[in-house]
Amino acid sequence: MSASPLVDIRGLEKKFDLSGSLLEQVSFKNGRFQRKQEAVHAINGVNLQVFKGEALCVVGESGCGKSTVARTIMGLLSPTAGEVHYEGKRIDTLEGKALLPYRRKMQMIFQNPYASLNPRMTIQQTLEEPIHFHHPEWSKADVLNKVQEVMQSVGIDPDWGSRFGHEFSGGQRQRIAIARALAVDPEFIVADEPISALDVSIQAQVLNLMMDAQESRNLTYLFITHDLAVVEHFGTRVAVMYLGRVCELAPTKALFASPRHPYTQALLSAIPRLEDGRPNYIRLQGEVPTPVNLPSGCVFHGRCPYANDRCRQEIPELFATDDGGQVACHGVEEGRL
Amino acid sequence: MALLEVKNLDVRFAVRGGDLTALRGISFSLDKGERLGLVGESGAGKSVAAFSILNLIAQPGYIAGGQILFEGKDLAAMSERELRKIRGNRIAMIFQDPMMTLNPVLTIGTQMVEAIKAHRRISTKDARAIAVDKLRKVQIPSPEKRLDQYPHELSGGMRQRVIIAIALLLDPEIIIADEPTTALDVTIQAEIMALLLDLCEQENVALMLITHDLGVVSQVSQRMLVMYSGRIIEQGPTREIINDAQHPYTQGLINALPQMGEPGARLFQIPGAMPSLKNVPSGCPFNPRCSFATDECRRTMPEYVRAGNVDVACYEVERLIAQEQQAREVTP
Repeated sequence: MSASPLVDIRGLEKKFDLSGSLLEQVSFKNGRFQRKQEAVHAINGVNLQVFKGEALCVVGESGCGKSTVARTIMGLLSPTAGEVHYEGKRIDTLEGKALLPYRRKMQMIFQNPYASLNPRMTIQQTLEEPIHFHHPEWSKADVLNKVQEVMQSVGIDPDWGSRFGHEFSGGQRQRIAIARALAVDPEFIVADEPISALDVSIQAQVLNLMMDAQESRNLTYLFITHDLAVVEHFGTRVAVMYLGRVCELAPTKALFASPRHPYTQALLSAIPRLEDGRPNYIRLQGEVPTPVNLPSGCVFHGRCPYANDRCRQEIPELFATDDGGQVACHGVEEGRL
Repeated sequence: MALLEVKNLDVRFAVRGGDLTALRGISFSLDKGERLGLVGESGAGKSVAAFSILNLIAQPGYIAGGQILFEGKDLAAMSERELRKIRGNRIAMIFQDPMMTLNPVLTIGTQMVEAIKAHRRISTKDARAIAVDKLRKVQIPSPEKRLDQYPHELSGGMRQRVIIAIALLLDPEIIIADEPTTALDVTIQAEIMALLLDLCEQENVALMLITHDLGVVSQVSQRMLVMYSGRIIEQGPTREIINDAQHPYTQGLINALPQMGEPGARLFQIPGAMPSLKNVPSGCPFNPRCSFATDECRRTMPEYVRAGNVDVACYEVERLIAQEQQAREVTP
């Protein structure tokens, strides 16, 4: 792990406004006009660093903001507050031409290969498009060679280039989506639930492919998933998110061996394991609160069996633990847990 | 006698250019209070199997052969009228997506009362009392209040609890659950699975659980079936199959799980993908992906052989068993 991170996000926040236009915000109640503004607090102050060559996995349940983090890093969404740095340069404020080189270096793989391939383009066209865009000076033969090379590297027969997306199975489509990301020789790949839509035996194929590509092309991954078993296998480090905040960040081995945050513990215990004869898991009270009205203090306090008054008032910050991880929990900090 | 016995069930879909066989020679049984897991990847025929038990296969699908015996009576040959007395009443079903199963414009209470009144002559007041009782059983807080709420007011986990409560309303003998937790988060999934398991044990209800998640099957079921391309390729006690799978496909499926591999190492992978129903290979449908496939596998579908307490349809397993027997005869 090199000292300076490849991608560095600092104090990232993202809100999605729910209240609509001014007219929709204003209502007439009890003889007076009132203006009400509401927002979904998707990310609330996330700091993450991704180092070269690693696979940082972001896990959490639906609505925890993991996909929003991915999209904000990629510049598909602009942050409400905070900064995104790539190789030391701030990129979230860049626009147009200045952003172009970063678009090439950072590529994305999406969850649903049925939706992410243009149904009206052949595979050849799909794979040529990013190359034409980022290397307009390349000759036709160069482009063709490159397309053949990436197709081979993901295990798709180059002769299939004239076919359309719908002629392929889900696993093959995801291979094509990976090939499209690899076509412009990126350094950093954000994969948002790339195997969730696939069957078990196909998941293994795609995971192997991603690991091979990482090795041969020296890629860095930000891997978004809700599947902890995949994380254990694939990740170098893991960030566990809950309600738009990172609650624990640790090397994979340390996290799975000794999860510190009560939420991480509950999450790990909920994975159905083959060796279990019965479900055994840590019961959490209640459900994930809405991100519209965030709870005060620690976002997890309403469901945490160890919460006290401090947890209800003061927001915990990430601090380093002795096993190389970081955790945001008052209980762990105070030595109560 | 088993509570439910499916014998040699064939289900076909009539489409342009001939029939597609979705289920071929499916046979299994379910005892009272037993929990059976049905595993397979998408397209293996798990859901078709579940739907055909209640004779719910819609056009262009039809049951082409075989019997579905529930307490000795054949559901495949029953009239709609007789079937209606069994569906929801004696055999209940839980579907994957809780948002799709509940009617969004009716309150929870209306839907529950409706379900009870469809089967029993009972006053609305009594029906509501049963509904409250069942909602309490699935651990929904303040059930009286929930009755007057609409499905959109509940979270995904709560909705799935309501669905389970509806399935339990008429005290069925069998619950068929088709991927009941796939749409839910892991922590919610764990809660729902534990709840379903507890309820089935308390009320002595048989459960047929359809899932693609081997972990869930291993936690919940006593026996399991593995399906591939419309056939049951392996069935037997869950622990025995998980610990020592016989069929190369089941072995591959288990070994492909990330939790089986060394972290960071390549995962075991089964090459290729499941064939579509339009061109199922001759012989064993798994043969193009199988490393043990011989000419025999490519020609004819293997019959079931017994290995321990497990029934497997595989020539390779048959050969291994024969070899073992020979070895035993040589060295008595």
